[in-house]
Amino acid sequence: MLVKKVQASRDALLDPEAGEWKGAATEVIALKGTPLTLQPSPYVKAAWKGREIGKVKSVRVSSLHNGEDVFFRFAWADPNDNDRISDQNVFPDGAALLFPLNGDAPLQTMGSKTQPVNAWYWRADFGEQGKNNVAEGLGTTRLTAGSHVVCRASWRGGTWQLVIARPLAVPDQASEAVQLRPGSAVKMAIAIWEGSNGERAGVKAFSKQWRRVEIEA
Amino acid sequence: MAEDNVGRIVGGKLVRPKRQLAMVFDLNKCLGCQTCTIACKTLWTREEGMEHMWWATVNTMPGRGTPRDWEKMGGGFVKGASRAGKLPTNEEFGEAWQFNYDEVFYGGKGNEAHLAPQGKPPTWGPNWDEDQGGGEYPNAYYFYLPRICNHCTHPACLEACPRRAIYKRAEDGIVLIDENRCKGYRFCMEACPYKKIYFNHVRAVSQKCIFCFPRVEKGVAPACSRQCPGRLRFVGYLDDEKGPIHKLVKQWKVAVPLHEEYGTDPNVYYVPPLAPPRLDANGNVDETKPRIPADYLRSLFGPAVDRALDTLKAEMAKTRAGGKSEILDTLIVYSWPKDIFPDFAKDPATLEWTSAETAKKA
Ligand code: HEM
Ligand code: SF4
Ligand code: SF4
Repeated sequence: MLVKKVQASRDALLDPEAGEWKGAATEVIALKGTPLTLQPSPYVKAAWKGREIGKVKSVRVSSLHNGEDVFFRFAWADPNDNDRISDQNVFPDGAALLFPLNGDAPLQTMGSKTQPVNAWYWRADFGEQGKNNVAEGLGTTRLTAGSHVVCRASWRGGTWQLVIARPLAVPDQASEAVQLRPGSAVKMAIAIWEGSNGERAGVKAFSKQWRRVEIEA
Repeated sequence: MAEDNVGRIVGGKLVRPKRQLAMVFDLNKCLGCQTCTIACKTLWTREEGMEHMWWATVNTMPGRGTPRDWEKMGGGFVKGASRAGKLPTNEEFGEAWQFNYDEVFYGGKGNEAHLAPQGKPPTWGPNWDEDQGGGEYPNAYYFYLPRICNHCTHPACLEACPRRAIYKRAEDGIVLIDENRCKGYRFCMEACPYKKIYFNHVRAVSQKCIFCFPRVEKGVAPACSRQCPGRLRFVGYLDDEKGPIHKLVKQWKVAVPLHEEYGTDPNVYYVPPLAPPRLDANGNVDETKPRIPADYLRSLFGPAVDRALDTLKAEMAKTRAGGKSEILDTLIVYSWPKDIFPDFAKDPATLEWTSAETAKKA
């Protein structure tokens, strides 16, 4: 995937429906349910046996940057928007991007002790402030004190449209957020949680392989 | 994050705490007054986000309980394997009703306005089916069943958490949720077969009974136990051979766990309820069958309930014949608080609490 450089304002690119996105290349990325064998909770292993994990089967992804900020735009079909935790048994929809923090990391386990990963996390009930997570293996996600991740989402006619954005470089988070440089490439993966299916934590749909993301100089 | 694995199966073996705190509730003494419920509510669950939380509850049995029909919600273990469970809804817990206090007390409406829940008419509450019970006149029956988290020896909640945010303390077996680790995933809520975990929608974490650990650490009994006017909530270490808990549970076996078949090895034990004798069609005492059907009690407390009831009956016969019964004397609790929670008899009003503790306590 190429993150093309464009001349456009942050505000425009944050809007998933802005005209600036019209010309951006779009890729359809297939998603799979996370494997039961990897779930760290014996309860989840047992209770989700025979249940569908990963309701969202694919997501359309485009990306742009304007020299300052990087923008990933997602669109996926979802018949209902679960945007609030309105009851004890209700879960919101969510989406996240995953990056290795030090060049490489195992994707299936969300990193490892020596190869941490960085997740930019949107959830429908969070509002515009996305969360910055670091993980060193299954069950270890940790929110960092600050987050430069900004999200804007809208749901209409059975489709979520979402932009997750961040400054390319975040020098104050040198060890807890991936640094993106124009003219270089990183690895990236995507996860989507379908709230109405009880998807949260390790129960989600994800893109099984790291994808190479090149940031145009 | 607890690294010691207490409460988990490691290499096929359950890692047990060094000691285990437990409670015994004598159901023959429970008045259904809800003082325990309110003692807990005022101490721990008064904040916004906790409206629906009742870490301590008392329900009439037979009844659907709280959350409604919790016994049909799954969870726990079957032959050691996790069983899928259901998340209760706010409606099943019973929403916190809002009342028209202002209108009634300050509205100047005299007798026209009556106190009533506002908004949608409620459909359930934490004590909705109070005193309905079972059976037919003249052999109707019911009893009260107080419940808290069982601080299980093999907690289904603890095992369910993918973040290891729940731990069981090695020194006393109290099961706690580390709110700094909890992300509100609620797998614990699904997995707990007693439905004793609640989601705090303001803090976005799961919360549960903490066995009043800040009090227990200072030798003070949990609030529900200390406040109980029926004086039926015994507290102590299961292995303390001199204490009432060990005697009632292990030595005399008159206290039995609730739904042991859920597989979590709970640490609250119940002295099962006796009831007045049945009456036959002519209004005469009929001793051939108990008033509370034995099968019903077995469905709650398992087959061990038979022996517990037999022992209680035999001890009662003994005292009626002029003899002495150590078991009944223990259950009567002649000297409060030392006979009911000997290790936790301190009066909280006599202790110094730091402001952090008071804040935690308030
Ligand atoms: C592109 C791939 C993935 C992304 C972007 C991702 C992202 C995340 C994020 C943001 C969280 C925190 C959720 C929250 O705070 O509510 C999380 C939790 C979790 N994820 Fe992933 N994940 C990915 C792949 C996987 C895979 C393949 C598994 C394997 C089962 C997995 C297992 C878990 C588990 C068990 C948790 C809950 C425990 C914890 O909070 O640390 N993840 N993930
Ligand atoms: S009663 Fe439920 S919440 Fe309490 S320890 Fe047992 S499984 Fe956990
Ligand atoms: S305070 Fe005691 S008597 Fe009253 S309901 Fe609770 S357990 Fe029963």
